[in-house]
Amino acid sequence: SSQLSSLPLQILLYVNGIYYIFYFLATLAMIIYKSQVFSYPDDLLAPDLAVLFLMAILEVPRLYLGFKGNLTEAEAPLGLSLGLTVGSVLLCVYLLLWQTYVLWADVLLNAVLLSAYGLESGLKVTAIAAFVS
Amino acid sequence: PADIRDAAQARVRSAPAPVTDVARLCVCDLLVAQCDISCCCDPDCSAEDFSLFTTCSVPVVTGDSQLCSQKAAVYSLDVEANPPERIFKIIDQVNPSIFCIHATNYKQALYLKSPEIPTPENFDQLLDKFGGATFSTEPDSWNVDTDAQNPPDANETSRYEYGVPVQTEDAFLRLPSPVVSSWCSDANPAGFLVNQATKCIRSVSVEKCDSIQALSMLFYINSSILAVPRSSQMVNITVQSIVVQSLNGMRTLLSSSDVLRLPIVLDELCINAVLGVNYHITHTDTGEIIEAAAAFVLGAISKEKLSIEQSFEISFTQENTQPVPLSGNPGYVVGLPVRAGFQSQGYPFPAAFLSNKHSQLTILHSTSTQDCLAAQGARAPVLFGYNMISGCKLRITAAMKCQPLAQTLLDVLKGQNFPEYVASFGNSQAQDVLDWVPITQLHISEQMLSHTLQSSCQIPVSLGIEVKWTKYGSLVNPQARIVNVTATITTTTLKQLPSGRERIIPITSSVVFTDISSPAEPSYKAWPTIDIKLPFDFFYPFV
Repeated sequence: SSQLSSLPLQILLYVNGIYYIFYFLATLAMIIYKSQVFSYPDDLLAPDLAVLFLMAILEVPRLYLGFKGNLTEAEAPLGLSLGLTVGSVLLCVYLLLWQTYVLWADVLLNAVLLSAYGLESGLKVTAIAAFVS
Repeated sequence: PADIRDAAQARVRSAPAPVTDVARLCVCDLLVAQCDISCCCDPDCSAEDFSLFTTCSVPVVTGDSQLCSQKAAVYSLDVEANPPERIFKIIDQVNPSIFCIHATNYKQALYLKSPEIPTPENFDQLLDKFGGATFSTEPDSWNVDTDAQNPPDANETSRYEYGVPVQTEDAFLRLPSPVVSSWCSDANPAGFLVNQATKCIRSVSVEKCDSIQALSMLFYINSSILAVPRSSQMVNITVQSIVVQSLNGMRTLLSSSDVLRLPIVLDELCINAVLGVNYHITHTDTGEIIEAAAAFVLGAISKEKLSIEQSFEISFTQENTQPVPLSGNPGYVVGLPVRAGFQSQGYPFPAAFLSNKHSQLTILHSTSTQDCLAAQGARAPVLFGYNMISGCKLRITAAMKCQPLAQTLLDVLKGQNFPEYVASFGNSQAQDVLDWVPITQLHISEQMLSHTLQSSCQIPVSLGIEVKWTKYGSLVNPQARIVNVTATITTTTLKQLPSGRERIIPITSSVVFTDISSPAEPSYKAWPTIDIKLPFDFFYPFV
């Protein structure tokens, strides 16, 4: 077949988008819960919230570029999306390891997101290789 | 020596680290190097001590239970074994909740904050914060010099409100009062419209009495009061009157009060020392202070005295008003004085009642000497709802004549101005004649039953005032209303004593308040009636 677009990547990007909305709302709610129940000084709350919102801002172009690159079989948007994924991975690792309070639910959500990112990155690399050649 | 001192300072700078290891933490270990009874975690206890325990007072020591997994030290006694022995296990406690804390990157999250250790650098700041009797820094608004803070507040209405401290030139009007202990603290501000009376003890020394600021009149009238907060309009504090109290307690009012009398040392006494200040502040109804006067009581301090008691009072009056203290509105309030008065001499109908401070209903006030003839008119006001009893002892000698004695005792019991009418409500006005209840006076002779000669000498021995009151008004908020006042004088026969002998008779006076309100009957509204009338042409075609 002459179709080079990767179907698993498309499915994964779509599921990632939906999962990310749930992830963002859940993490935000948990940060609010933590700030009420535990002692959460403002100078520690600000970086955690900033990281979460930055990740949300990065996610939108990342997913859009991924969709566009995969569907148009162009490697430039897909490569850009891969670059943004690296940034998202770093922010996700921060929320997993260096947040002020890491709850067990935080660990689960971030682990799932990290594995999705990892799988996506692998699929994007194979798709780029398929488009280039 | 320098490095030893530095090392010591370095050691002191950090407080001992808190014990967080659950295996070593033992809250019941209170005795040092001794075994605490029933304390299974005590390291000073040996196996024989454990065999004598019956229970463990501390069965488990855990860390914060919100952590996902934490260590717990479990102590228990194995009573089956012979001898009983202690079992110590360290187990992992798991919190099954999905919101348990997996890790924290904030070290002080789960621990209490360690207090700051004072060092030469932060000592002043810590002393400011914690050095006083109360833990708060002096509010910056006292400092009138900081103009930077004024612009944001300039839009506020410039007037005093209830409770706002009365400001003066340098800080605020001081009313020294006891804080925590009975010693005077000069940092108590007088609040606007807050009538206060305080008494406190100040330490003095007669040699330095002219240098102690708080003993001189100038300290209390020096700075003028600001008419409105943060304004430049000043009101000087005038000296209203000066009363000089001698060492034996006698007070004389000075005729001229414009001369400032400062404390001086004279003949081992310190005279003109301030023993009491009474401030009277007059204000307008818009919250502006227009007048301030201070009445002083100056006294003498003898050399042996190391402390004196000073009393301070402040009262606020609105301009152009004559405040009459009410005892309730409208019903009497328990604890406020019963208002009484005389009928003015209008003929044929009395126009109004005269009621002032001097015509209050009072009873005899017991003195420490308990001698009736030396009581010298000490009276206590009758407070509504408070049953009171007081008395004194009368020593009768053979030389006393009956009639003057009876008259003196009547004066002692009833006082100089025994009123004729009592106000029915706490706010009865003098013009409302029907709101005043006459005092019924009864005379009872103790020996009426034994038919002794009535012509022998009768002296009053007791005065009983019975005030009958009722509840008036609504069921949910009943008001107290005085309905009847009866003053009963009981007299007894004075038997002539043989000369040289003397007798002591107790004289009593009492006030009793009786509630004669009938049980309340709630009344119900009438059932609404349905009033239907059809228009007269309702059945038009058929009528």
